[in-house]
Amino acid sequence: MEKMAENLLECRDLVFRYSREGRQGETVLKDLTLSVPGGQFLAVLGHNGCGKSTLAKHLNGILLPTEGTVLVEGIDTRDDERIFDIRQKVGMVFQNPDNQIVATIVEEDVAFAPENLGVAPEKIRQRVNWALEQTGMASRRESATYQLSGGQKQRVAIAGVLAMGPDCIVLDEPTAMLDPHGRRRILATLRELNRAGMTVALITHYMDEAAQADRVVVMNDGEILMDDSPAAVFARVEELQAIGLDVPQTAELLYQLRREGIDCPEDALSVTDCVEALCGLLGEVER
Amino acid sequence: MIKDITIGQYFTGHSPLHRMDPRVKLLLTIAYVVALFLTNSFWGYLLAGAFLLFCYALAKIKIKVILRSLKPVIPLVIFTGVLNMFFVTGEPIWEFWVFHITWEGLRFAAVMSVRIVCLIAGTSLLTYTTSPIALTDGLERLLAPLSKLHFPAHELAMMMTITLRFIPTLVEETDKIMAAQKSRGADIDSGGLMKRVKSLIPILIPLFVSSFRRADELALAMECRCYQGGEGRTRMKQLRLRLVDGGAVLCMAAVVAGCILLNYL
Amino acid sequence: MSAPVIETRGLGYVYNPGLPTEKVALQDVNLQIERGEFVGVIGQTGSGKSTLIQQLNGLLRPTSGQVLIDGEDIWQDKEQLRKFRFKVGLCFQYPEYQLFEESVYKDISFGPKNMGLSQGEVDARVRDAARFVGLGEEMLDKSPFELSGGQKRRVAIAGVLAMDPEVLILDEPTAGLDPRGRDMILGQIKAYHAEKGNTVLLVSHSMEDVAKFATKVLVLNDTGVLLYGTVDEVFSRAEEIRAIGLGIPQITQVFRALRQRGYPVSDTVYTVAQAKEEILRLLAERGAAR
Repeated sequence: MEKMAENLLECRDLVFRYSREGRQGETVLKDLTLSVPGGQFLAVLGHNGCGKSTLAKHLNGILLPTEGTVLVEGIDTRDDERIFDIRQKVGMVFQNPDNQIVATIVEEDVAFAPENLGVAPEKIRQRVNWALEQTGMASRRESATYQLSGGQKQRVAIAGVLAMGPDCIVLDEPTAMLDPHGRRRILATLRELNRAGMTVALITHYMDEAAQADRVVVMNDGEILMDDSPAAVFARVEELQAIGLDVPQTAELLYQLRREGIDCPEDALSVTDCVEALCGLLGEVER
Repeated sequence: MIKDITIGQYFTGHSPLHRMDPRVKLLLTIAYVVALFLTNSFWGYLLAGAFLLFCYALAKIKIKVILRSLKPVIPLVIFTGVLNMFFVTGEPIWEFWVFHITWEGLRFAAVMSVRIVCLIAGTSLLTYTTSPIALTDGLERLLAPLSKLHFPAHELAMMMTITLRFIPTLVEETDKIMAAQKSRGADIDSGGLMKRVKSLIPILIPLFVSSFRRADELALAMECRCYQGGEGRTRMKQLRLRLVDGGAVLCMAAVVAGCILLNYL
Repeated sequence: MSAPVIETRGLGYVYNPGLPTEKVALQDVNLQIERGEFVGVIGQTGSGKSTLIQQLNGLLRPTSGQVLIDGEDIWQDKEQLRKFRFKVGLCFQYPEYQLFEESVYKDISFGPKNMGLSQGEVDARVRDAARFVGLGEEMLDKSPFELSGGQKRRVAIAGVLAMDPEVLILDEPTAGLDPRGRDMILGQIKAYHAEKGNTVLLVSHSMEDVAKFATKVLVLNDTGVLLYGTVDEVFSRAEEIRAIGLGIPQITQVFRALRQRGYPVSDTVYTVAQAKEEILRLLAERGAAR
């Protein structure tokens, strides 16, 4: 038995360098240290090619560090013997919903992982039912997977990893191919799972999604540039824009006003916060 | 255009045929095909055809669907029919230059046509009433004893599952790529054979590239979901033989026996 | 006055007519788009957007009504249909998946070659299109498959631009790209529109992008046109847009809230730059009043 780990996920001085032909020697992750306590909703924000997907693949042992260590509940991902324990603890959801669904029927697909783990049939049934409830897909359990919308497919994919009984789910740009409605549903599902205690690591380049997390890690060029609350991160408008990221229009407006020498608050992410801030600025309504 | 294909399609339902064990359905389909080739009497075919119609009615699948599924094989039926009609020797009923139609030829042509139609309609019924997963599941379990002899039963079934899963995706993708290339002026529908074959390149290459990418991503996703081959794997849905399966076996036994006995009538 | 470049009369489309899966995608769409407009097309998934754009270049044949390009019915003579495919350049979602040639140059030249242009003309078209999407000379000989996602996307868009269409239709050209890639492509489309003066239809889910780039907005709902007008006209009807499940830009929401509270602010604010001006104006007025 390993001793109880404090953090669910831990990357210590993680370096990753490609050994593959074509990209040989390219360093993708540079001395990255990151701890994620259980129950957190973490967003990892960064532009394409900043190394955020590579980081995600380290969190369940798909990729192994060139230098440094990655621990999942205290288990080193290099430990061959425990690799399926790690994969079961950290569920992974990818960008393209079409390319991670194995079966033609929704419930059959959700059952895939527990079947692989050798769970007893009646237990699989329970897990599948639970996972479909959690993602709001219970009514479509017998549907053909190809008839679902992109957002629904992605929720089936989430249910598919939930059925493993993970402690954490890592999602690599799960909404990049979805329409706004599908995106909102995915985020709502994730927030609900997180409220029920699930650790969520959401990798995204949508700032409005990151704004809903507990904590935002901004990556650039294989390194962690910022690690703070959403409000604090999005107040750093100039730095974010310099590395090609968006900020919410509300945060940008307040930033622009501050640059004009106007005294206004830094952290107004929502429309309501921004309206309050501007009202404070403009004073009483003249009648 | 491509979407018209109904072979391999599954219609959800709760008929006795839908409830049957896929293993039994697979074996009975094979038995039916064998019966079709064993019989050679008019009454035998009548029995086989009537039984098939009965099964379709039982499964609540419309005749329209059968006709649609037969559409692609009509040329084959006509071809074999015509071939048999002209080239089987026997008592001629009509002669012209080197062609001569014989009674035997006509009879044989009719027999072959009916055989092909029953064959297609019969095997289609299997896929219409069995979900692809259940089908591959049944196949895997029927072949399981062979895996002791290193026959890759699980791998085969997994490949079938994935193929069935990706057919609609790739069909859709083909449609999209075709539309995109047509928008760039690709002329797919006209010209001689060589030109047509050449005009497929802009469609096939993107399709291959994307299939490889999909395969790559799927393999990764399967790995993340702890896939490690067939060993130690359990299944959510257990297959169980039920009363309906016993009934079906008896019915099929009667049909096979009937088909054979009617030969001696 | 010249005829609108795109006109539809009673346009309708039904998928699988007569089958149990029959679905009406569009019904009685009457639309007139003037030459030179930059039209943002918005609507929920399933609102008939892709059906409409595929009818505009003759990929789908209307089940009722007509599509007129430059005043000509595109289905009048089937032999002439391809002419309209070149006139109305359609760039699909995730267009990088249609790349197939061994070099970027060859791929971009696929369209112009199909038009039967001379070698010299094809070459000029390819280079012009590559310039619009910011692909340097050194990129043209590379295989499109070794490029990054954003670069592939730009090659594919260049493949449509190279046909020099009178109307350019782009279906979510920035889907899946990060903010940097998105801004680059939208900026290039804007520059293309400004230089060529052609008509551009941009299908997008981002109200912010539509507000920033478009001159007109077409809102589709269910099976037809809900609204078509200038950006101001359309976004001033926020309730109707919200009712069909679409949003309005975040900053517009802020200013509508301020107006509701009684502040004399403009309700046609869509971009941060406009918002800043408006607040500064208001602050200055207040300062002067005090």
